[in-house]
Amino acid sequence: MDPLVLTQAINVVYGVSTLAAVTLGLAVIFGLLGVLNIAHGEFVMIGAYAAFVAQWAGWPFLAAVPVTLLVCGLLGYVVERILIRPLYRRPFDTLVATWGLSLLLREAAKAIFGRGYHSLTIPVPGTLHFLGTEYPTYRLILIAISLTVVTGLVVWYSRSRTGTWIRAMIGNPELAQAQGISVRKLASATFVTGTCLAGLAGIMVAPLVPIEPYMGLDYVLRAFFVLVVGGLGSVLGLFSGAAVIGGVNSVISAVANATYGYFTMLVLAILVMWLRPRGIVAQR
Amino acid sequence: MSAPRLAFDDVTGGYGSTMIVRGASGAVSPGEVLCVLGRNGVGKTTLLKLLFGFLPCRTGAIRFDNCPLGALAPEMRRRIGMTYCPQERPVFDDLSVHDNLTLTRADRRLESFRPYFARFPVLESRLRQHAGTLSGGEKKVLSFVRGLAEDQPLVLLDEPSEGVQWENILEMEAAIKEKTAQGAAFIVVEQNLAFAERIADAYLVMDQGRAVLAGVRATMDRARLLAHLHV
Repeated sequence: MDPLVLTQAINVVYGVSTLAAVTLGLAVIFGLLGVLNIAHGEFVMIGAYAAFVAQWAGWPFLAAVPVTLLVCGLLGYVVERILIRPLYRRPFDTLVATWGLSLLLREAAKAIFGRGYHSLTIPVPGTLHFLGTEYPTYRLILIAISLTVVTGLVVWYSRSRTGTWIRAMIGNPELAQAQGISVRKLASATFVTGTCLAGLAGIMVAPLVPIEPYMGLDYVLRAFFVLVVGGLGSVLGLFSGAAVIGGVNSVISAVANATYGYFTMLVLAILVMWLRPRGIVAQR
Repeated sequence: MSAPRLAFDDVTGGYGSTMIVRGASGAVSPGEVLCVLGRNGVGKTTLLKLLFGFLPCRTGAIRFDNCPLGALAPEMRRRIGMTYCPQERPVFDDLSVHDNLTLTRADRRLESFRPYFARFPVLESRLRQHAGTLSGGEKKVLSFVRGLAEDQPLVLLDEPSEGVQWENILEMEAAIKEKTAQGAAFIVVEQNLAFAERIADAYLVMDQGRAVLAGVRATMDRARLLAHLHV
């Protein structure tokens, strides 16, 4: 195969898998808890800034992981406790509340790190000879990690006891409580899992994107498009949504330019909302 | 008479500021079945929700083995020995019958359910199906088996026989009698008087949120009972 086409093909896979990774946290929070977390992008931003701080302090790249888990975990816990918990099953109210949260986090980032862009050196530099073409090693690692994390979480959700409890809690919270499941603790843990996943995705993409206070906006928009197109609550939906949104965006951006890529993505999202409001893979 | 397993005294409560249950009192002892009877909408289900802690009691006290329950959360009531099988949405529709049964079992094994499968073979044949595909009566049977198999000292059942075939209702009766013989106590809300008469040791009849008639089955005047059940 033509190396150029192959490179573009890997680019698409890269775009789709990182998009799936960035969306995963929102899929957990929006898909499972029904909370429209507009601040999702800001949790991605926190992860990226954690990677920046780690580099600035001279720590190894992976030191950003515990920092992110700590910050996103604590923040997620507090936010669920005081902001989300009183608003479950009130989608519009959670939307407004988390929108406020996203403004707050963005302004906090501005206050601490300034408005400017930061960029990181890529922790694993160089390229790898892959299927007859040269491809950046770090991106290949990202593809592998994204696919592993998403599949791992999905398998865990469908097989594990906690996964079954979460499904029970979502389907029938009162009955779950009657059977001794602490719905509040479980919902809190689910929310924190979502914010931590967003943060981890932020670390992963940090070396490849400009880090700035507004970076979350793009991620939250694309993550919502993925869920709109793919539908909520299924892995297949997450991947197909990411494939459609990420794939179309990468292909059109490569053929034309990024603006057309974004434009096509928006048109697609609107079409799906109009024609298949439950997503392209919805069964019912 | 042994000390009551659950006693509730002057319990008032409901949704928001609307009081559905007003000053209901009653008690059930180990090995006993208390049947709560009454027409639709008189507060029977609300009473069970108050007893299990889904709704807060505005007034009154509930004591389990002589220990006041206060504002204990439902999941904690389950942990200290109470079981609740709701009337509406009795099972997890999105989970398999198997997962419905073993949700909170550490080992996920079905061994302890074998005696129940002998009574209700329909469940065993549907283990892999989603519980949402069961008929209303089958869901009730699933909920009933799940509740009884928890082996708890106190079981609250909200209209267990609703939509259930008569032969399965008779199996329910037998299963309840087996449990009471082992010392379990039951509070059962029922519309089906024929079923209630077969299992009850005592009655509590409710009307407009109040307990209007109470007593042991043997001395209950059937005509007065019926007068409260029919419009």
